[in-house]
Amino acid sequence: MSQPPTTRRRVDPRAERAARTVLAGSRPRLLRQPAANAVVNERRRDPRAVHEAALVQRQPRPRYDWTRDTASAGTPSAAGVFVAAVPAIPLQVIAEPAYLVLAMLDRPGGEVSEHDRQVIAAARLLADGGSDGGGSGNGGGAVVTVSTGSGEALAEAGSDRHVALPDGWADDYVPERRAAATLALMTALSPRHVLFPDSADGGDVARRVAATAGERLFAGVQGLGPDRATRQSAGGSRETGHRPTTLMTVAADAFAPLDGVRHEARPLDLATPLVAGEEILPRLGGARRLAVDPDALSLSETDFILSAGNGVTDWRSFAELGEALGATRAGSRVVCDAGHLPRDRQVGASGTVVGARCYLAFGIAGAPQHLQGITGVRHVIAVNTDLHAEMIKRADLSIVADAQAVMPALIRLIRERRHA
Amino acid sequence: MPDAAMPDAAMIDWAMLDVAVLLSIGRHPVSGRARRAATDAQALEMALALRPRRLTAIHAGPVADGEALRAYLGMGLERLTLLVLPEGGDPVEPLVAHLRRLAPSLILTGRQAEDGEGSGMLPYLIARGLDAAVVPDVVRIGPADAPDTKPGSANLVQALPRGQRRALIVTGPFVATIHPSAPPARPSAFGPARRGVIEPVAAQAAADLFLSDCEHRPWRPKPKLMRVKRGGSALDRLKAATESKSGKGQLLVNPTAEAGALAIYDSLVEQGILP
Repeated sequence: MSQPPTTRRRVDPRAERAARTVLAGSRPRLLRQPAANAVVNERRRDPRAVHEAALVQRQPRPRYDWTRDTASAGTPSAAGVFVAAVPAIPLQVIAEPAYLVLAMLDRPGGEVSEHDRQVIAAARLLADGGSDGGGSGNGGGAVVTVSTGSGEALAEAGSDRHVALPDGWADDYVPERRAAATLALMTALSPRHVLFPDSADGGDVARRVAATAGERLFAGVQGLGPDRATRQSAGGSRETGHRPTTLMTVAADAFAPLDGVRHEARPLDLATPLVAGEEILPRLGGARRLAVDPDALSLSETDFILSAGNGVTDWRSFAELGEALGATRAGSRVVCDAGHLPRDRQVGASGTVVGARCYLAFGIAGAPQHLQGITGVRHVIAVNTDLHAEMIKRADLSIVADAQAVMPALIRLIRERRHA
Repeated sequence: MPDAAMPDAAMIDWAMLDVAVLLSIGRHPVSGRARRAATDAQALEMALALRPRRLTAIHAGPVADGEALRAYLGMGLERLTLLVLPEGGDPVEPLVAHLRRLAPSLILTGRQAEDGEGSGMLPYLIARGLDAAVVPDVVRIGPADAPDTKPGSANLVQALPRGQRRALIVTGPFVATIHPSAPPARPSAFGPARRGVIEPVAAQAAADLFLSDCEHRPWRPKPKLMRVKRGGSALDRLKAATESKSGKGQLLVNPTAEAGALAIYDSLVEQGILP
């Protein structure tokens, strides 16, 4: 067997010893130096070489082909990186929908929220499973999404058609106009179902529409099929089931958003432009956001948390930083035990499980109970002196430095940028 | 008895304020016992804090469990109107008829019943019946003080998700539903609760056909929706399902304080937290 040059020469101590042995004389003598050409024992098998020859692919996991003979085996691709071809998601087109299902989306701040995707998923259940529909092909229902902004982002959420509301409505609080626009759409398209997210704004518009149209609203749908919808009633102690009504709101986190689908999200051309909402005289006006004190918010509802752990000793800087950032202050258990922060500001398993968008942690090592409390946080920034702390591993931006040095520098930087 | 119309020309007279509060019977989430409903009690608290000239508290429902309403009387009400409905009757029509006779400029209520259907539709249907505006999730009510607003309008503060607040100006009479983060309700006192008077008023109500068409069963908790990542190898999916997100993020080891602060600042700007 020929040894490939990549593997180490196999040692055969008996053969070597035999090669060094000189039998001339009364007794055998061993040479100090090994013989010049080391003897290769043909009967010894080199398992590494055999494996190497049979190796077809190394990444993402080794694959062997034991049938091919070692002589003809080419070397496996050196890097061995196997790139799986990403299968293209087929585009689903519903050209002639038998009926329409409207999904009225919130799109807070212009981006498609998780709840919006869940509403589209629920609408797909109704559209694909209709009694006179033939599954997902032609003849089934089509999902029409209605929101501000364009529909391109909604194609992969499962939208077949899209109706864009006026762009100005994205930032304004115009529930009466949204309700009037929905009613106009309902008369224009006569959809079989209209679904809203059961959020603060979506639920409000849904109830306005239901009151004006005189339809029954099935609020907070938790389960949905083509012929049965269920919701929670009696303070969450009862399940109420009924046929899917025309108007329904979809509870948060009841349906999994769609994944791996691609629909058209083609703009729907309406016979009459959508101006019905502009005509009514709104009774609610002068809406403006108020500045809220971040420390007055509870930890579970705030968006940005500045948190302190055992590594913080400069509490004056910590307070100033919270004020400069406009962040809600919080702390780990150690800090709350020591009385530096009140007990309701404790993050973790025995405190509050937070769902903030951003979590800025100073001097927190990351006990398991604390990491449990920040599972839902999207972006974590950690400042800690210990490189091997668990928090450093969890964080999206980790800075191995002393909190007492970074906090004043950050305060100075924020003030500089604000005045510049 | 005044004509069946709302007060003159869409105005709220803050000196002669006339408030109606719609109260329901709540249900304790664990024990299931009848109690005062939490947001309805907050609505009554807000009405009492406005010091109106006339305050009318109304409950519509069967007379059977009227004793739970005494908790509202213990908050400082002297009398409470009970519209007696047959079991399973729809309360909207009798309430609208009663409120039309009273013609209050302000109607406060909780945002969702704790028992029964609990669809949160009642304030909207009543506003529709009275042709009034409806404002959800209110935490504060006061007269509009800005100089450019009409004299009869009201300044409201609405609670939004994530603890945010929004100020609104509403013209004309309106129905407001109260958010749980409004000022907490005062405790109910035993003596006033015994002394208060519940005035039953007979009312006609049509049966709610939709509710009798629904089927009811005890609620069974559903499995929590997991955000499962699709695609990738089986190993990737297992990791996504079992491991908590560990940062594949940036790591700065012993930077100067200024460099560290700059990195944090840039990261916050990138996340849209800082302008």
